[in-house]
Amino acid sequence: MGKIQDVVGELRQVAGVKGVAVVTLDGLVIATALEEGTSPDVIGGLASYLLMTTNKSLAEGGLGGCTRLSLHATHGKAVFVDLTDSCLVVMVDQFVDPANVRREIDDAAQRIRRASRLS
Amino acid sequence: MHLIQRMKIWKELRRLEQRAREQPAPTTFVDLGQVFINLDEHAKAERVAEDGLALFPKSPELRQLLECARRGLRQKRMAELRAKVTRSPAPELYRELAQVQVELGDSAGLHTTCQEWGMRFPDDAGCWLVLGQARLVNFYRDLASREGQEAVRCLERAVQMAPEDVSARRLLGEVLYRIGAVRESQKHLTQLLQFSPADAEVDALLRHVAALADHGDDVEALLDEVESQGSLRHASFAAVPRAAGDAGMARVRDGLAHVADLPGVTKATFIRGSKALVKGAIRDGKDPFLRVARVVAKAAHRFARRLDIGTANKSVVEGPFGDICVCVYGEALAAAQCDETADLATVMAELQEIVAGALHVVEEA
Repeated sequence: MGKIQDVVGELRQVAGVKGVAVVTLDGLVIATALEEGTSPDVIGGLASYLLMTTNKSLAEGGLGGCTRLSLHATHGKAVFVDLTDSCLVVMVDQFVDPANVRREIDDAAQRIRRASRLS
Repeated sequence: MHLIQRMKIWKELRRLEQRAREQPAPTTFVDLGQVFINLDEHAKAERVAEDGLALFPKSPELRQLLECARRGLRQKRMAELRAKVTRSPAPELYRELAQVQVELGDSAGLHTTCQEWGMRFPDDAGCWLVLGQARLVNFYRDLASREGQEAVRCLERAVQMAPEDVSARRLLGEVLYRIGAVRESQKHLTQLLQFSPADAEVDALLRHVAALADHGDDVEALLDEVESQGSLRHASFAAVPRAAGDAGMARVRDGLAHVADLPGVTKATFIRGSKALVKGAIRDGKDPFLRVARVVAKAAHRFARRLDIGTANKSVVEGPFGDICVCVYGEALAAAQCDETADLATVMAELQEIVAGALHVVEEA
């Protein structure tokens, strides 16, 4: 668990990243590094809802699962990366192109997958 | 409610919330919403119903739940306003209270409020306007002459008391031309245009009315005729098809065809309300791509709204099927499914053009 928290903390240090969380698909929060005032439970619940509903509609249509979901809103962006039974949620500043931090996000996702296999 | 009862309810709530997340179904959302309604938490019940409708937009049970939750919220608001006007009466409070009563369909309460409002503030035309609006709704629904006469009487009184009030004059002008009193209606609409000469909508309405046949100015006789025939003389301005909207939809169709022709794009759609335009390899309305686009748009909207990061405009879902790009502005949604050869930035820019153009069409209409 400590390793996952370290990876999350490191990703949070990347310029433009405003918050990072690892949540299970049923909304439990595994690790977070969020801005003050953002509740981990809220992030967990909302990310779980978004991914569960997306995966459900994909599965019903026989399209398979969602591996990554990027969301652009007027005042912020979010990237969700599938980690099999959990998901990496990265909140990004509205002025940052998520493509610029894609490498760091992919790298973090890879390390979290490895850490969860070892634990 | 004692502690053990509260704990039981919260436990049940947690169980239902988890079920709604893990196995979403209309009944699960309805059960959860019902618990919130029983707890007098109508705002939460409304949220649950909205979330459920995002996933199951055609569910009648969820629509009923939403209606019930909103009704509860309005009733709460009505009680608050009633208490306020009793303590310190003010025309604004009466206006809001009357509006809530109109929404609740509480005719008796509305009449009491308007009577009180008129007695306390005899120079305020607002009570006559609200009464006129309520009567007008009944008239358009039932086409009953008596309701129409009352509506016209109330609106005329409102216009008399506040000649520059555009709402009352406009409603009066509209009902008059629809029953056939075209010349009378023109008088009101011309005055309306004098008050706001830059209002293109009034100008267009006036031109529309000028082309209609007049059937005299005996309002009572015209209303009786409407009641006996069971239909209004002239269609509403909004119901008349306009070329601008058609041209706008043609632009949307062309834009969609252009997106479908981009390299790597396999399917493209434009959705507004329950209607969808499609291009590419889409079999029928049950194609999963259409449902995914709609579900992702709704879920992303909810995520962004709850996290206070504004409105979710663009989303990209990646998976073994390729990429599904979704672009939303207001009610208009455009989406495309692409393979790995597609340039997502170009696709997204084109989808954005389509929804922006569609919004323009809505504004024109």
